[in-house]
Amino acid sequence: MYEEYFRSFNKKVPLTQEEEALIKTYLTPKKLRKKQYLLQEGDVCKSFAFIEKGALKSYSVDDAGNEYIIQFGIEGWFISDLYSFITGEPATYNIDAIEDSELVLISKSANEELLRILPKYETFTRLNITGAYLAMQKRLTSIISSPLEERYENFITLYPDIVQRVPQHMIASYMGLTPETLSRIRRRISTK
Amino acid sequence: MHATQTIAIIGATGNMGSAISKSLSKGNYRLLLKGNRQEDLDVLVKEIESGHPVAEIETAVCPVEAGWEADIIILAVPFAAEKEIATSIKEVANQKIVISISNPLNETYDGLVTPPDTSAAEELQKLLPNSKVIKAFNTTFAADFTTPVLDGKQVDAFIAGNDEEALQTVAELVTTAGFNPIAAGNLSVSRTLENMQLLLIQLGMKYNYNWLAGWKILHN
Repeated sequence: MYEEYFRSFNKKVPLTQEEEALIKTYLTPKKLRKKQYLLQEGDVCKSFAFIEKGALKSYSVDDAGNEYIIQFGIEGWFISDLYSFITGEPATYNIDAIEDSELVLISKSANEELLRILPKYETFTRLNITGAYLAMQKRLTSIISSPLEERYENFITLYPDIVQRVPQHMIASYMGLTPETLSRIRRRISTK
Repeated sequence: MHATQTIAIIGATGNMGSAISKSLSKGNYRLLLKGNRQEDLDVLVKEIESGHPVAEIETAVCPVEAGWEADIIILAVPFAAEKEIATSIKEVANQKIVISISNPLNETYDGLVTPPDTSAAEELQKLLPNSKVIKAFNTTFAADFTTPVLDGKQVDAFIAGNDEEALQTVAELVTTAGFNPIAAGNLSVSRTLENMQLLLIQLGMKYNYNWLAGWKILHN
């Protein structure tokens, strides 16, 4: 139920058995079926999720109903609307399951309590947020300054698992392209 | 839009369980029902769906699976059965709202089996130390769910618990069910609430209320 979570934790910050047991009392196990929402735009994001199993996406929707995928998440990753989680303002993202998923949820109060009582939890959190920031910086730079082909090649090198598991139209949305443009790029790369 | 909350109702085919299931199916909830007999569950699901075709409702294979998927777990089982179920769902109910509806009545309905310094809800909290146990729906009879307005007045439904946010969430459930929610206090207030229902049951038998009775606080 929490295997991946503690594997990820111990890789970054080794825990004693007692510390694991303590952290466990604050975690919420949650199963989500494919297409079910974890969060809907307008709700306040009251917990963030660690993915034990499965895949999710966070995305925003424009007035015409078009989806813009912000992030994918698979086993071992966190996913949330961090802005809403931290500020308590309504979420601007939706998060739903691309596959049947098993999550570990950490509520705001659980998170604050763990930060207060366990320095190792604070370290783990800092490393995760730093990692997320770096990934976002890379994504932003790539979006504004890299040619399309290079962006797609970077994506498949960085996240081969996601390319395998996620439908092409979602990857196109993540890259800010129409599915037609993405398939043109894929063709160009494969004939290189 | 709010993301739909999933509610697991364990003991859904009992008197109270089916009344709660039917009334909550009208709200923006996804219901996972678990009962002892699959045939009874299927009948209940059909009945709810025929009256309310858009209801999101499914039967669950076991309490653990239901509890794992759920955001809120309702134990609609007698007090005597709570211990066994609590033990099985303990892990999946971690940090979740668990609603205790039971009244720990003795066999002759003239007393409670719990000592005066505790309650069914507090006993459940001891079994599920990391869950947010909330007392609710113990002061309302199953028949009240179809008739939550008696003698022109909306029946009050008392809730008790130690977590403010959880109380708020359960108050919304109670409103969906048609009752007027009153947050009575922390979980130890359940002792009073469980005794209140003992009294109402005794009065009901004495004066033949025919199970259509409830509590209403009159105030100005």
